[in-house]
Amino acid sequence: MKRRDFFKYGLGSAGVAVSGGITGRAGEINYVSQASHFQHPWWVKEIEKPKLGIDDRIYSRFEARKNVFGSMAKYYGIDNLRELSRRSEEKTKKYYQEKRPGYRLEDRALADAAWVISRQGGLNRGTRSWTRNFVTTPEERGVDKYKASPSQAAHLIKTAARYFGAATTGVALLDHRHIHSEERGKKIVFEKADEPYENDTKMVIPKKCKYAIAMTVLMPIDNIACSPTAISSAGSSMGYSRCEFLVAGLAEFIRGLGYTAIPSVNDLGSSVAVAVDAGLGELGRTNRLISPEYGPMVRLCKVLTDLPMTVDKPIDFGLMEFCKVCKRCAEACPSGCISYEDEPSFEIKGEWNNPGHKAWFEDSPKCLAYWEESTSGCSNCIAVCPWTKKDKTVIHEIVKAASAKIPALDAFFNSMDKSFGYGRQKSAEKWWKTNHFEYGIDTAQGKG
Amino acid sequence: MKDNNSYWILKIRKRPFYIWLLRFLWIVWLVFWAEAALGSKAELEPRALVISLIIFLVSLLTGLALWLLGIKRFKK
Repeated sequence: MKRRDFFKYGLGSAGVAVSGGITGRAGEINYVSQASHFQHPWWVKEIEKPKLGIDDRIYSRFEARKNVFGSMAKYYGIDNLRELSRRSEEKTKKYYQEKRPGYRLEDRALADAAWVISRQGGLNRGTRSWTRNFVTTPEERGVDKYKASPSQAAHLIKTAARYFGAATTGVALLDHRHIHSEERGKKIVFEKADEPYENDTKMVIPKKCKYAIAMTVLMPIDNIACSPTAISSAGSSMGYSRCEFLVAGLAEFIRGLGYTAIPSVNDLGSSVAVAVDAGLGELGRTNRLISPEYGPMVRLCKVLTDLPMTVDKPIDFGLMEFCKVCKRCAEACPSGCISYEDEPSFEIKGEWNNPGHKAWFEDSPKCLAYWEESTSGCSNCIAVCPWTKKDKTVIHEIVKAASAKIPALDAFFNSMDKSFGYGRQKSAEKWWKTNHFEYGIDTAQGKG
Repeated sequence: MKDNNSYWILKIRKRPFYIWLLRFLWIVWLVFWAEAALGSKAELEPRALVISLIIFLVSLLTGLALWLLGIKRFKK
């Protein structure tokens, strides 16, 4: 060891030892001081219950087959669906011939290819397996399982989640009502069991899995800004593929600590509801999560576990008040599926909505029909939201903070946002000429 | 000012407090819009860039004009 290194490390170690001696519980204090890594900006307020309340008499577990993907034929009519599909095929060919930017072969190939990791998993399948894949357990290593205080465990999990690609992470006590009652033709039940399992009739989640880790994954904003084209579709699929890697990695990490982990993306239950409980954002006009850091530019995923952790609280950053006056998503929606109502309500639009919670419910079959009609999917509501920003200038932070604290300014901010040209569709052709970050996202965004 | 080559008279003009405050606010305003323009460029937001740049340039020129006007008035 060089003399300089001796002083550097020697004095450093002595310093740590002294400070440890003074504090007595240095490890715990370090975790507390580093908790700021995962805090929301100062203008975000923690609250006891989510702002858009739940009617406990009505809210219950949702049957996954009722969602729009599972029952589109029923909601839209099988003949209408066939006709839609025929039109979509015709349009696709026409767009190819025209070499229309955003709908060319290379654009579509990119959109399909970005699903590559997401396609490796499904409910208790592949990367989303409910049991361990390859990780060595503490038992196999001949050591005790991971033991720490709940706050240390929460910090550990949030750090690991960030490492695997989470933009933000929150922990909530699992509300069983957020979990589907059935999926893939099988009942999903909570039972006293050591490990999750699946047989011919049911899928069993151990009752000991009391915690839900909710995570956001940032989507590439330059892609989504090209909506509705295959380039924006590639943005969504990239988000899903990164979710897949994240939940698979985090679940294996938790199993490696000696605990149970059930990874999930859009399957198993409502990621939005879990994320709202875990304080990752608020429910917006689109009936989806809007995060204070990234707006709606996120995909959500979750991991259920029995590792005891400190739970986070729901948050309020004035989004509901903002959504009441903004309505940009509803104006930009080509299918007209987003509500224009001033106030959120308990009134659902159809069977595809889970009743019993207050929201601006959407007409999902119209949305999905437009995905087919456009031949490429659509993310207009995400692209135009004033909370969708790259945050490269301080003006966005000032506006967000002011909106959270002074709702009277919301209408003004919204009209300024429009005047400054935010939310306009970007050129898919230019996308190919832009010098993008890895995965199309700036991982430094929203990290303080 | 030289007077009969025997002594100098140095005039120090004391400006009112609000002038200094206005100058400070003007500089903060300019920095704010310059930063917004640079940020908008990085965000690939052309319209936001143009508007920020126009606000910056108009504020800069107006401020300079007022400043020069003040100097001229003082010299009179």
